[in-house]
Amino acid sequence: MIEVRDVCKSFVANELVLKHISTTFHSGKINQIIGRSGSGKTVLLKCIVGLHTLDSGDILYDGRSFTAMSKKEKMQLCSEIGMLFQGSALFDSLTIIENVLFPMQMFSEKSEKEQQDRARFCLERVGLYNVFDMYPAELSGGMQKRAAIARAISLNPKYLFCDEPNSGLDPLTASKIDELIVELTKEFQMTTIINTHDLNSVLSVGEHIVFIHKGEKAWEGPKEKLFVSNCPELDDFIFASEMYQKFRTTLVSEQSGQI
Amino acid sequence: MNPLYHVGRYSQLMYRCFSKPQRTGVFVSQALKEIDRLGVSSLFITLIVSLFMGAVLTIQTQNNIENPLLPDYTVGLVTRDTLLLEFCSMVLCLFLAGNIGSNIASQIGTMRISEQIDAMDIMGVNSANYIILPKIVAVVLYIPVLVVFSMFTGMLGGYLIAAFTDIITTSKFIYGLQYWFIEWYVYYSRMVCVLFSDKSGRFCLYYCLRIGLLGLFCTWWHSRGR
Repeated sequence: MIEVRDVCKSFVANELVLKHISTTFHSGKINQIIGRSGSGKTVLLKCIVGLHTLDSGDILYDGRSFTAMSKKEKMQLCSEIGMLFQGSALFDSLTIIENVLFPMQMFSEKSEKEQQDRARFCLERVGLYNVFDMYPAELSGGMQKRAAIARAISLNPKYLFCDEPNSGLDPLTASKIDELIVELTKEFQMTTIINTHDLNSVLSVGEHIVFIHKGEKAWEGPKEKLFVSNCPELDDFIFASEMYQKFRTTLVSEQSGQI
Repeated sequence: MNPLYHVGRYSQLMYRCFSKPQRTGVFVSQALKEIDRLGVSSLFITLIVSLFMGAVLTIQTQNNIENPLLPDYTVGLVTRDTLLLEFCSMVLCLFLAGNIGSNIASQIGTMRISEQIDAMDIMGVNSANYIILPKIVAVVLYIPVLVVFSMFTGMLGGYLIAAFTDIITTSKFIYGLQYWFIEWYVYYSRMVCVLFSDKSGRFCLYYCLRIGLLGLFCTWWHSRGR
């Protein structure tokens, strides 16, 4: 479980990008942070993983305060974190298997053979075969995302962070990536946080949703209550497309008993 | 821009960079890769530049010596000393600073933009140590090798001019090359380039656009040292 407590973050003096955000992300669940572009989703995610320092507030990993951690404890925590970046962030000078091996080479005490076996297992687990010796640039976007997921799970993380895992993918590949993340979350009982503005993803795999608007938490709740949130900003976000506007009309008609 | 801000950031970066590598095996492997990528790949361009430097020096020296009291072998002597003291340490290093600096800048810039450095930081890898230190080690170890190579090829360039033109005989040119040889010049030249390589590596990595300033600093150091 990850608790975010009253987090504030600014890059320029007196201009808060994140304004007093507090929420809890539960383990074994798909937690999603949604919001418009520029609302502060990625900044929040980077604050949680420690890439940005907080102006105020705290992050608690299963009760362990991130801000109070020593350097050694932070290093230990890093080995419990896996992250999937928006652009995959695979090391382009390494082959796919070397990318997956990289965290193990740096931190694992396993033998070389065990590391190789683990890397192959992770790649096969995400459905990648026969690409071990290829370079990231030789793979499609979807395959790169899979390889990045394989690298993220190579050290058996307790926490998985995904920054817009569906961006740049076709709907079918995007849904496969979503399904993969769900499977891995359940299989390894990870606390998974996904940053997204893809509503299909939210509706298909999301369990606990946090909506960020202009750096503030505007709404939080289960997926089922998304359409009845009574939050105008969230409604504007969800019903922005024509398809969802039609859906809302149907929903309202249903509720008023017209259908 | 606040200079103190940059001094502070540079110091922090160097502290992170020169900490003990997390895995020695990985570090050695990275250093060897960087030697290949930054050093060995510069061999060909060093060969071309040095050949021309030696050839032009020989022609220019011969054309500008008018005093009949000066012996013919002076051309070889001047070519050798100029190559050892100026061209192979300073000019070549300035050239390599641009070449290697742009190489490093493009690589690290791409890594930063594509979030590869963030990915390392999240894994708990000391990205400064993993990326920068092998490059500094590579340039410090390999640029002196390139300088020595440049000395030989520069003199070879001069020799080829002597061989294929009639401005000086090859025997007199070689005699000039061997005449009154001061070994210290070679060590001195290599010391200059080690300092230059180290500084250029660090500065390029911190702030890739500072090569001009760096050249100025090293030229000053060079003239002061002699």
